[in-house]
Amino acid sequence: MFDVIVVGSGPAGTSAAYALRGTSVLVLDVGYRGMPAASLKGNIYELRRRYADLFQPLIGERFEGLRNIWQRKISLKLKAPLMSFVLRDWEKLCPLRSDNFEGVVSFAQGGLANAWGAGVFRFTSRDLEDFPVKASELTPFYDELTALMGVCGRNDDLAPYFETEAQLLPPIHLTRFASDLLHRYEQRHRYFRSRGITVGYPRLAVLTRNHNGRSAYQYENLEFFRPYDPAIYNPVFTLDSLIREGSIRYEARQLVLRYAEGPSGVEVLAKNVDDGRMTTFRARRLVLAAGTLSTTKLVLQSNNDYDERLPILDNPMSLVPLFRVDKIGDALDSSEGSLAQLVVIYDGPGVSRNVQATLYSASGALRSDILFDLPLSIKGNLCCAKYLAPAMGVLMVFHPGIVRKENYIRLAPDNTLEVNYECEPLGAIERRLIEAFRKIGYWGAAALCRFPPMGTALHYAGTLPMKATPGRYQTYPNGRLFGTKGVYVVDGACFPSLPAKNLTFTIMANAMRIASNIRSDIG
Amino acid sequence: MTTLADEARYLHHRFFPGPLELEVVDRYIEANRVCLTAVESYQSGIMHKIVSRRLDPVAVEVALRWRGRDSLLTKKIQILFYLLEVRSRYYPFFVNQERRRCHAVLALAGSVLFTLYAFLKGSYLVWRHRLV
Repeated sequence: MFDVIVVGSGPAGTSAAYALRGTSVLVLDVGYRGMPAASLKGNIYELRRRYADLFQPLIGERFEGLRNIWQRKISLKLKAPLMSFVLRDWEKLCPLRSDNFEGVVSFAQGGLANAWGAGVFRFTSRDLEDFPVKASELTPFYDELTALMGVCGRNDDLAPYFETEAQLLPPIHLTRFASDLLHRYEQRHRYFRSRGITVGYPRLAVLTRNHNGRSAYQYENLEFFRPYDPAIYNPVFTLDSLIREGSIRYEARQLVLRYAEGPSGVEVLAKNVDDGRMTTFRARRLVLAAGTLSTTKLVLQSNNDYDERLPILDNPMSLVPLFRVDKIGDALDSSEGSLAQLVVIYDGPGVSRNVQATLYSASGALRSDILFDLPLSIKGNLCCAKYLAPAMGVLMVFHPGIVRKENYIRLAPDNTLEVNYECEPLGAIERRLIEAFRKIGYWGAAALCRFPPMGTALHYAGTLPMKATPGRYQTYPNGRLFGTKGVYVVDGACFPSLPAKNLTFTIMANAMRIASNIRSDIG
Repeated sequence: MTTLADEARYLHHRFFPGPLELEVVDRYIEANRVCLTAVESYQSGIMHKIVSRRLDPVAVEVALRWRGRDSLLTKKIQILFYLLEVRSRYYPFFVNQERRRCHAVLALAGSVLFTLYAFLKGSYLVWRHRLV
């Protein structure tokens, strides 16, 4: 009998296990792991010039890099051959059916954080309005995580949206495209602020100097192709050190199927995904951290409930290209990184909750990934991709996820998750951003905006929301699932609302908060 | 019927100078087998017409794409481009290595005009050869 069983090793599971270290903790996880990228050392552009052929690491023997041509599109980071472990077997282990929600599930160690943008944004009191938790309750855990992971950034105009941070590492070096934009924004500060637009450095879980035994970011542009960059925080780093120190017990290849509570605790039934062997594990408490979709499935499956429609949240998103005419034809600067460059907050007229955008450069990814989305002939698009890339940035805009009664997730009798997700048409905020940036020489066009389907943001949440007085399929502020004695939900499933921010940092802080309470409880 | 190897060589010839390496031809054939398993026979017939009649794939592709057709031709060109982009020989075709502002502006302006021409030509070819 363990004190606690944690299901999953993503940001939530690892943070919970970290907070519970020292007690008797078992982490159950399918836990697929990627291969080290031996052939990918150095700057991607140098490598592409130096080696005659990079088919294996960039496309892959099984043509993983081509999957967006013939299957529904996924994030560019998830389709690289060395990243294919992140989505390995998910359609078999957690099938999902929907006409309007293109979600994915990860059974990898570290979960979807293997391919995250590393944005770490604290939720403010305003973001937490619907949460039965105060910002001050999360603060110590945000601080502890910041010290553990290493977070770079700057306390600039965006501090009111992200909180002032005492222990930030220096920010990343910006691309010329981004640094010029920031400079011009500062010159037209009053114009932007009067329109509710704020621009500043992102807070990233990226090391700009060596920290906790991990080395600083090298600007190699390999984020799209190579897992486990030591400079970019991955929950696997924490998991590995917990296992190495003997602070937790970790069982891989275990797909948890259901749980049941008895008088002495919780019994968890898991199936070995390699040999099909079933094992029952026992603990005093169970912490569900398998990721919102998997956790929801596990709860419904354990209740044999194939009728209930639960709410679901994700951030609607859009992609807004911006161009600098005077940079057309510039040579590509291979030393510029492909991490998030700037954050733009829109908090002006027309929104009740602010909208957050992140500016990315067009470097890193293959040109073939973008040139077939451009509007000219293929020859024209090739010319555009070549000459416009240094003059181009893309704003990835996240809108708040809003609870709507027509949006639901349900477990069908064939054990497939069924999701319906509709959202309001987007475009109004995007037009305002385009209009504002045009004033400083950054051109965009509404016709070039792209609106990926729901589910693409990978910010799933809200299926088992925390409430001050919860009901069925809701959770208490301490994470305990209503109707249970010792089952806790610590991942995005317990979020009652979803601001327009990457939620990973708050998932981690909240998981630590809940796990710390459990730790106190079990003495 | 034309073979996938003929197809790869023909498409390559219309976009890039020089011969196509055998290694890429083999990968193109394998990629078609892996990625385009559910190709309908009429779509294959269109590809056969384009290759055997030496029709302009740039023109046909833009004509089909602008009409909202999810064309097999676009997917095949995309496969070929991916296979080529990861080879150092093709690096200069995809990445601008020197500052060439005037050249770039002229090339982009030319691309817009060329696209209009290609669309008209492609529309004619689609109608003339019954490619839909």
